This record gives sequence, C-alpha cells and structure tokens, in this order.
Amino acid sequence: MSLDTLVMPDAEVAGLGTTAERRAVIAQAGAVPSREWVIVARGLTRLYDMGGETVRALRGVDLAIRRNEYVAIMGPSGSGKSTLMNLIGCLDTPSQGEYWLNGHQVSKMTDNELARIRNREIGFVFQTFNLLPRATALHNVELPLVYAGVSASERRTRAREALERVQLGERMLHRPNELSGGQRQRVAIARALVNRPSILLADEPTGNLDSGTSEEIMRVFGELAEQGQTVIMVTHEAEIAAHARRVIVLRDGLVASDDRYADGDPSRRDGRGDPRPAAG
Amino acid sequence: MSAAARISALFEGVAIAIDALRTNKVRAALTILGIAVGVFVVVAMAAAIHGINVSVARDIEAAGATTFFVERYPVDFNACDGTDETCPWIHNPPIRLGEAAMLGRLPSLAGVTTEIDFAGSFKYADRTLSAAQIQGFSPGWTNTDGGDISPGRSFTMRENASGAHVVIINDKMAERLFPFGDPVGKSVLINNSPYEIIGLYHYHPSFFFGGERALAILPVQTLLRHFTAREGDAQLIIKPRDGVGREEAIDDVTATLRGARGLRPSKESNFFILTQDKLFEVYNKFFGVIFLVTFVLSAVGLMVGGVGVVAIMMISVTERTREIGVRKAIGATKWTILWQFLVESVTLTGIGSVIGLLVGWAIALVVRAATPVAASVPPLAIVAALASSVITGILFGIYPAYRAARLDPVAALRYE
Repeated sequence: MSLDTLVMPDAEVAGLGTTAERRAVIAQAGAVPSREWVIVARGLTRLYDMGGETVRALRGVDLAIRRNEYVAIMGPSGSGKSTLMNLIGCLDTPSQGEYWLNGHQVSKMTDNELARIRNREIGFVFQTFNLLPRATALHNVELPLVYAGVSASERRTRAREALERVQLGERMLHRPNELSGGQRQRVAIARALVNRPSILLADEPTGNLDSGTSEEIMRVFGELAEQGQTVIMVTHEAEIAAHARRVIVLRDGLVASDDRYADGDPSRRDGRGDPRPAAG
Repeated sequence: MSAAARISALFEGVAIAIDALRTNKVRAALTILGIAVGVFVVVAMAAAIHGINVSVARDIEAAGATTFFVERYPVDFNACDGTDETCPWIHNPPIRLGEAAMLGRLPSLAGVTTEIDFAGSFKYADRTLSAAQIQGFSPGWTNTDGGDISPGRSFTMRENASGAHVVIINDKMAERLFPFGDPVGKSVLINNSPYEIIGLYHYHPSFFFGGERALAILPVQTLLRHFTAREGDAQLIIKPRDGVGREEAIDDVTATLRGARGLRPSKESNFFILTQDKLFEVYNKFFGVIFLVTFVLSAVGLMVGGVGVVAIMMISVTERTREIGVRKAIGATKWTILWQFLVESVTLTGIGSVIGLLVGWAIALVVRAATPVAASVPPLAIVAALASSVITGILFGIYPAYRAARLDPVAALRYE
C-alpha cells in the first residue's frame, strides 16, 4: 500500500465531528496523512462489553505523532493508556475512529494484515521483556525477521547489527536466563529494532528494573531517539516520562494534556517533572 | 507465511517439542508409548503377513501349483465343540497306508506320498537338538516334493518296509549338528537310538514344510514302528502326472477313495481334498482376520496416543500463552502459530512412530531368525506407519494448535 493510493473521502472526515483538537489534528496532518506524520488517529474509540455493561475505555482520542518524536503516554490506571497502546501497536482495532500508521490505514485491517503491519512497522518492548527462554539472544532478535520471511544469512547479519547497536555484541549466544535484567531488556530492544520499524513502542519498559538499570535503558532510548527513531513509551512513572520530549496524559479515555518540551530541560529530570500530575 | 518462516518454524517446532518432552517426561512417555504401540503393531503384523505370503508363494511355486493334499480333517478355522452339528468330520476315518498305495496305482498321478509329522531329539557327539521336526514319508516322496538331496540318497522301498534306521537331514540340521565336515554316513542319535544319515536335504525356506528349521526325514514305516507316531495322523501329498489337469486328478482320487470306502452317492466324502490355492485362501482369510484385529488394535493405540497428544499440546499451549502473544506481537500470523504447534504435535507422534518402527523391525528380525517365516518389513509398512503417525499428529494436534492460533494477542500478552 503506498501513500498515493490512500484517499480518505471528505465525507468521512466531516463525519468525525469538529472538536477543536480534532480540527487541529486534521489541520496538522491533513486529510490524508503525509510522510511527515507517522501516526494519525482521529476519534479513536474503544468499547468493551463487560458482562452486558459497555465500558468506554477510549472516548474519541485524536492524536498525531511526527516522525522522530520521542513521546511518553501517561495516565492513571483506567485512563485508557493500555487500550491506546494496544491500538497504536495494532494488537487491537478501534470500535470507532481511524488510525493511520506510516500511511497505512490500520483501523480496517484483518488479523493477518495486522500481523504483517506489526511485523514491519512496530517494534515492541515489554515490561517483562518477553524473550523466548529457550532461544539465544541472537535467535530472539532474529524472530521478527523469520516472520518477515528474510533469508537466514541476512537474518543473522541484521540481528547481529541490532545487538551491537544495544552494546550486546559480546553476549549474542547467551540465553535470557544467563543475562541480567538490563541486558534482557536490551535484547528486547534489539528485537524491536531489527525490522527497522517506524515506531518503537515500549510498555512500561523499566517496570521490572531497578533505578540504575532503568537509567541505562532510558539512555538507550534517548540515543535511539537522537538517531531519528520514533519512540512511543507508555509509563506511569513521571521520572521515566521526563526523558521524552512530549508527554501525553490520558484521563478517562480522553487526552487530558499534550505538552512538548525542549531537550535537556533540567526541571523535568528531578522527578518533580510531570507538569500535570495525574490525579486519580 | 513465507517459506523461510515455515522452515524455521519446522526446526523450532521440532526443538520445542523435544524440549517439551524433556520437561514432561511421564506425560510425553505415555503419549509416545501409545503411538509407538500402534505403529509397532502395524509394522510387526505387516512384516509377518508379508513374510508368510512370500513363503506361501514360494512353496506353491516349488511344489508345483497342481500338487494337492488329501486330509482326514479340514484345514479351516471354524469353531468345533465336538458335536456333530459343528463338526461332523470328527468321525472321519484315518487315511490308511493301503489307501495311499491304491491311489499310487492311478495312471493320472505322478506320485502319492504319505506324510506323518513328528518331533524328536537329535544328538551327535556333544551337540544336541532337543525338539527338531521329523517328517515320515513313504518311498517315492521325492516325486511330490520340491526339494533335492545331495550328497547322498533317499531311502529305498526295502528300507521303508523293514523300518530301517536311516535318516535324511536338512541343511539347517546339518549346520547345527555338523558345523564341520560332511554328515552323510555319520550316525546320529534320535531319541537315543542310532540312525545312519544317508542324505542331505535342501529345500527353500518354507512356511508349510519348514526349511529354515532343522528337519529330519524318516521312512514312514520307521517312524510308525520306532516312535509313538500314529497312522491316523497321516496326510497324502499328491502330484498329477504331466499333462493331467489338477481337477481331473482330484476327480480320480475322490472317486477311488469313495469307492474304496463304500460311500453311497448321497453321502458326503469323509475326507478332504486340499488344493494349494485353497490353502492359500484359508491362510489369507485367517490373516485377513488377524490383519483386521491388528488394524483395530493399532487404531486404539493411535487413539490413546492421540488423546495424549491433545493433552500434552493443550498444556503446552496454556503454558506458553504469553509466548504466543509475544510471537503475534512481533508478526506471527494465525497460520504461523497453527503451523508451529502442528509441527510440535507431529514431532511427538513422529518420535513414537520411529520407536514403533524400530521395535517392529527388531521383532521382524527375531521372527526371521527363529521361524520359517521370512518376516521382513515391507517398505509400504514403513510409509504407512509414518503416514499414520503424521495423520494422528495433525488430527489430534489441530485443536490445540487452533486454540493457540486464535488467541487474542492483547489477552495473551496479559496472561500470567
């Protein structure tokens, strides 16, 4: 699917309603997202049926993320941040609304198309690392390439490069249980990077790490962002979110705030940083 | 799914399956055992039937397809409880040596041989054979037999009539008793009486007559006089003269015997004519039943194994829910996951079938060495065994694999 073939009819845009925020997103990103915008979401809604009662986890989120942005998504539990992450990660599809990822309209995709998009466009980093315990670091990193149908020799080369990028070139043949938590998370980052995804999507990436190791992982993310990798990270820790240059706070299924920060703003790194602490 | 992903999943699936076996030894052992038993039974029986068919075909070819037998009792597998309803033939008179002599004078026949089967112990120097097969033959038996004697000779009419202590042994017995040197002319002890070996007999491996087992041939009169063999156990081997059809010869024999026994036309014959194709047919019927039983047994074995496969795979899927979620998150499609778990279950059943094949093959070797049945595992049985294990693996693996494939990635990733 190329960008040129994707045309969103005006009628659909008109149907989305016209909140100020939505108008801003449309104004920024255009009716058809341009290459500059890696994520454009309009009116994302996700309803769950919980024993006959409909729960609205997301209630019309509008979101536009530029290529190369370093974004943290925050919010208290129940705010919808996990749901939003699942939608951004193409693990789930919205009940209503539209989602464009790198020019692909994801909201209407079938399961197999979603799997392909996840494989090509998204690199996941999880809180619990989620490496295959029996496989070596190298094999773990190769796995997305296996699903992409890359040849064995190219897989090996690219997996090696990705591991070297996270300074794990020496430990490629170790299994996860032979690695420290920080090293495991770096293997997971290498796995996320190996397919050259358009977004790196991290879900509480430091949730299982001590503060020293957390800093180490955040340094890796910072470097990747500097190299031009789009990074989106879901976290409830203000200290971690403070590493990002843009913080989106969700509350009750809607965007409560969306703030950009200049790089190296010292006031944000001391832990007091979150300009709008999420009130429960 | 690309070929690369499929092949990679193949290796990975095999490795994971073997890994799963190691962690769940008892469960896996039971599963594999079920499959192995199923496959083993198929292979062992296929080998036996194959061997028997080969032996029977060789016998018929060697003896000549027109040779037939006269028996006191039918060769059949019908139940007999001793009453007249189920087996009127229980009252049949024995086939007398005199009757054989009379049939021998029929111009349509090339040879009539009386045969009585027996067994005895053989001893030469320090070597013994405790229970070797003995066949008592009337003189002229070589006319109806497919084997040959060299070196040495058969016994004469006179030796038979006098019950002489002469014996012909086959090459198997010679191998056992005389591993070095020529047995002809030596004296061997049969049930502790000395007998002179006058000939060495060669025959092809045989199902009916034995050829891979040690065998001694005695004059029938010698057998009747010096052993506890009974005339009532005699059967006749009859070979029609060249140019005489088998049916014609059978008609001749039937008419002559009925006449000699004074049977009215309305009465049934009190003897049985057995042709080789009838014999073949009876054996086929018999082995058809065995084959059916085997088939059912192996199906049960495969079912038991299959249920084990379902259990072990369901556990595997549940234990690895989160892993499935991760795989889906990084790009595995439903088909990739389905394939992965099918490979795993087929690996389980495949290991079972290889074990079953090896055991079945070993049994075939033992049978081949110990009995006249030339048991060998036919290639088709190997294919059938492997195919049935793959089918079992797919059939019983498909449900757990389907469960894994349709897991929702969000829920799977959240699974604890």
